[in-house]
Amino acid sequence: MTYGRLVLRNLSRHPLRSLFTTLSIALSIFLVCAVLSLPSALAAILDKAVSNTRITVHHEAGLTYLLPASYVNKVRGVPGVAAVNHFTWFGGIYDEPKNMFPNFGIDPDTVADMWPDYKIDPAALRRFRAVRNAALVGEQTMRKFGWKVGQMITLRGTAFPVNLTFEIVGMIPAASGNPVVLWFHHKYLEESLQPRPGWPFSGFPFVGMVWVQVDRPEHVERVMRDIDALFHNSEAETAAETEKSFFQNFMSSYQGFIRVILGVGFLVVAAVVLIAANTSAMGVRERIPEIAVLKSLGFRRRPILTVLLCESMLQGLVGGAVGAAGAFFLFRALAAAGKTGGLGPLLGPLGSFYMSPATAMQGLAIALVVGFVSGIVPAWNGARLNVIDALRRLF
Amino acid sequence: MIEVHDVSKLYRRGVDLVHALEHVTMQIPRGRFVALMGPSGSGKSTLLNLLAGLDRPDSGEVVVEGEALSRLDEDALAAWRARHVGLVFQFYNLLPVLSAIENVELPLLLTDLSRGERRRRAEIALEAVGVPHRAHHRPQQLSGGEQQRVAIARAIVTDPDLLVADEPTGDLDAKSAVEILTLLRELNQAFEKSIVMVTHDPRAEAYVDTVIRLDKGVLVNGSDPHR
Repeated sequence: MTYGRLVLRNLSRHPLRSLFTTLSIALSIFLVCAVLSLPSALAAILDKAVSNTRITVHHEAGLTYLLPASYVNKVRGVPGVAAVNHFTWFGGIYDEPKNMFPNFGIDPDTVADMWPDYKIDPAALRRFRAVRNAALVGEQTMRKFGWKVGQMITLRGTAFPVNLTFEIVGMIPAASGNPVVLWFHHKYLEESLQPRPGWPFSGFPFVGMVWVQVDRPEHVERVMRDIDALFHNSEAETAAETEKSFFQNFMSSYQGFIRVILGVGFLVVAAVVLIAANTSAMGVRERIPEIAVLKSLGFRRRPILTVLLCESMLQGLVGGAVGAAGAFFLFRALAAAGKTGGLGPLLGPLGSFYMSPATAMQGLAIALVVGFVSGIVPAWNGARLNVIDALRRLF
Repeated sequence: MIEVHDVSKLYRRGVDLVHALEHVTMQIPRGRFVALMGPSGSGKSTLLNLLAGLDRPDSGEVVVEGEALSRLDEDALAAWRARHVGLVFQFYNLLPVLSAIENVELPLLLTDLSRGERRRRAEIALEAVGVPHRAHHRPQQLSGGEQQRVAIARAIVTDPDLLVADEPTGDLDAKSAVEILTLLRELNQAFEKSIVMVTHDPRAEAYVDTVIRLDKGVLVNGSDPHR
């Protein structure tokens, strides 16, 4: 007989109750680990998608302001620039408004130079250049809508008063980190925009933003300065930034949302603490006669407090280990499935969700705190029971 | 020797103060088997609790084997109980999650004995009370008489100077009650343990050396415990 055995035996007194309490802790720690991994997972997704030699150039006033199309050629002339492309947001909807996804008019001639890391099939790129209404579609979007290469699709314009019909000529692999986008010829959009009621223009001499491939990473800072200097005091001043910085700024709009998720995660933990504390208090109340006997045998406050607290902390530890290990191995399995099992498009961002061992340890530490906080008050009350008062409840 | 000097104990019941014990003085020589008898509310259990160091008198003093219990603080009193007192309850009060032998080992957790030695002593104690074959059974698998034997083994396993028993036969059938009284008597005679037992059972008088009667918190047969 040891104190450890006494703790284990006490926990086995109501196996179902202990199991459910442990599982509730495990589930909450699973959620906490997932929530804690969110910022680093977003950073991992970002790292996967960006290049250290790609920069974006957009209107200094913001992304909703357009740049003159002439800027594209001017940027091309800046020393250190290896390739230039551009994006124009079309805002096309497939079938229903809920089917909105990013689709851009671009320059088909420099896709391979601008995004060599996307590893798009060269045959698809050749066809993309050759066919006026060709479209390259991200793997995830292809799967989502059940599209096939060679299929004709029509997108209803929301940013422009035209509907465009495209022939899908190839796929942008999910491994590119950009698996939802659709690219088509900017010129196809331009040609479609003829004067009509509500649209007095012919053509569209603007682009939404310019993409630049720099020849060497150490030239990036200088090229950005040169581009901004080139358009300084012009009708449309520019703001150049690295691709990583661009996406970080883009994602920063989600920071508030992430904070809400973090808050909800910790509220879940608080709720579990209360549930576990209630269970623990119930367990101590039921055992007052036994605590009385232990006290009468000569057990002092400290060993009784220790035994009762160890019970709740052991539950926390086991629940935490199950929850943290469950989250760790689940996300690892999802990442592996995303890479090797061809499930990447199905999993979407989940396939890039990375949980570090440090986050698992954080989850475990939180579980121990849950065990301690939920057990301390009932354990303290049990340990400081007056032996005579407790014995009276015996008889 | 157990000495009780002018001990009084009051309880508050609502707004009233109730005298559980009033100026009780008595002595119990070492090795005696004593029964405390009297009607309900006479102060038997209160006196037993004071002798076992579970409670403190409001006035007066209890001295057991030269140790004045009122001078010990809470922790020292608990340590004293662990070393010198064995307790037996009416309803056995074994821990249901532990086997018989684990229940008996429980008080030995408070000693410096090794795990093996604790187990050995618990086996000896179970042997002494006649239930070694039930060592690995849980309390709920034992009869009332067997549970009380295990409880007595738990009380004697630390080799205490004093055994206190609160209605040890109160929850037993007649046959088991006689067996428990016989066992207590044997322990008293074989190991010269002082035993103080609260009981309503008239059969107990035949097994004890001395009967001390209380009524309304006062000793009925004076301070001389000898018959």
